[in-house]
Amino acid sequence: MNHQDVVAQLVDILTPLAEGRVTAIGEDTELTGELALDSLKVMDLVLAVEDRFDISIPINALADVRTVGDLASTIQKGLGDGV
Amino acid sequence: MKENSRLQAVQAVRQELSAIGIDPFGVQIDRILSPTEGLIDGRPTILAGTNNYLGLTFDPDCIAAAHEALETAGTGTTGSRMANGSYAGHRELELDLARFFGKRDAIVFSTGYQANLGMISALVGPDDTVMIDADSHASIYDGCRLSGANTIRFRHNDPADLAKRMRRLGADAAQALIVVEGVYSMLGDRAPLREFVEVKNAFGATLMVDEAHSMGVLGEKGRGLSEEAGMLAQVDYVVGTFSKSLGNTGGFCVGDAAELDVLRYASRPYVFTASLPPATIAATRQALRTLAAADALRQRLRDNAARLHAGLAALGFRLGAPPNAVVAVLLGDKLQALRFWDHLMKHGVYVNLMMPPATPGGESLLRCSVSAAHTPAQIDAICAAFASWSGPRA
Repeated sequence: MNHQDVVAQLVDILTPLAEGRVTAIGEDTELTGELALDSLKVMDLVLAVEDRFDISIPINALADVRTVGDLASTIQKGLGDGV
Repeated sequence: MKENSRLQAVQAVRQELSAIGIDPFGVQIDRILSPTEGLIDGRPTILAGTNNYLGLTFDPDCIAAAHEALETAGTGTTGSRMANGSYAGHRELELDLARFFGKRDAIVFSTGYQANLGMISALVGPDDTVMIDADSHASIYDGCRLSGANTIRFRHNDPADLAKRMRRLGADAAQALIVVEGVYSMLGDRAPLREFVEVKNAFGATLMVDEAHSMGVLGEKGRGLSEEAGMLAQVDYVVGTFSKSLGNTGGFCVGDAAELDVLRYASRPYVFTASLPPATIAATRQALRTLAAADALRQRLRDNAARLHAGLAALGFRLGAPPNAVVAVLLGDKLQALRFWDHLMKHGVYVNLMMPPATPGGESLLRCSVSAAHTPAQIDAICAAFASWSGPRA
């Protein structure tokens, strides 16, 4: 799955969580900054993402995830897409 | 030094509470009157916010044991067991704990927090995987972080969700460490331990159960949920604390695995801290003897828990779990929970105010902990204080 496909699926998952705070979610949208997801919501997001892509994302792999694009790259690693 | 965003976030919450004029996180008990009563702001207050499940903090035998150790062995050990030597009591307590749980050996740590840190960080490393319940205590999260292992969360109390994540590990699943708690401290709910054991066995993994809030409370002899569920022999490691039903401070792990012989020397939270003082060891050894024979106390605790649970349910409150030593009243809104907590304090009842992110589901709650030492009249007084709240109840 290419990067843009993963980002598109993430936008689907994130749109209801954004509750209108950000109108156009994209590659560079910050999860905790612009989308204002607190640490618990990010963890719940990860559980949802894991189910959508049938992968497991270790908590320690999230340390450098700041934007939607970062999360997409982490998912691609989990999918074995060799990013 | 650059700005510390974590401290700024805490400061913002402190200022918010200060503006309201209520400080639930700085309560001082000026005088402790009994296991269930203290003097707070000059007011006699029923303590329903401790973890003194069996009420052993004033047990005369435990106090006598502590006195004797204090007189004969001094106030403290002044060092680490590995670097500065163990006292005989440290090892004797470990053997007591191993016998109590029917396991081969035990390690005593200086706190319950350190027991989880010390065990998880020594059992797994950067090439390993730990599977933890999403609602795990901070000490489990921190132990995982210290270990450097890949840490994967599964949905709270959901063995099927754990199994799904174990399958994704493939051949590595057999090397995984699974960590669950017997009773979760926020809501008082129990783990479906039999089902978790089935998952562990199906993948050949290792299971650790933290019985901090269930030791002394559950099981015929107080050996926790593992005993109550008939799963003690299947649990590889039991972790626990001395600071709840044993009425002191400290932590431990028991197990059958040969690794326990060397694990302590690879455990930084064991090695690089001072060992427990003699009076604590002596009182805990006595408390463990008392706990093992405390069938009547456990029955009183169950009766008190059922009385409080039924009383609060009859008042229309939403409760976190079936009757147990922890009875959590779910309130949702943070400000309402704060005002309710303050109302209870002014009516002479101290409970714990818990707010997100410490709580599951983003809800605020008032957490009551029941003790065998509470009288039925005290339980009724707690219910009466809740009943006097005129605000919304859910």
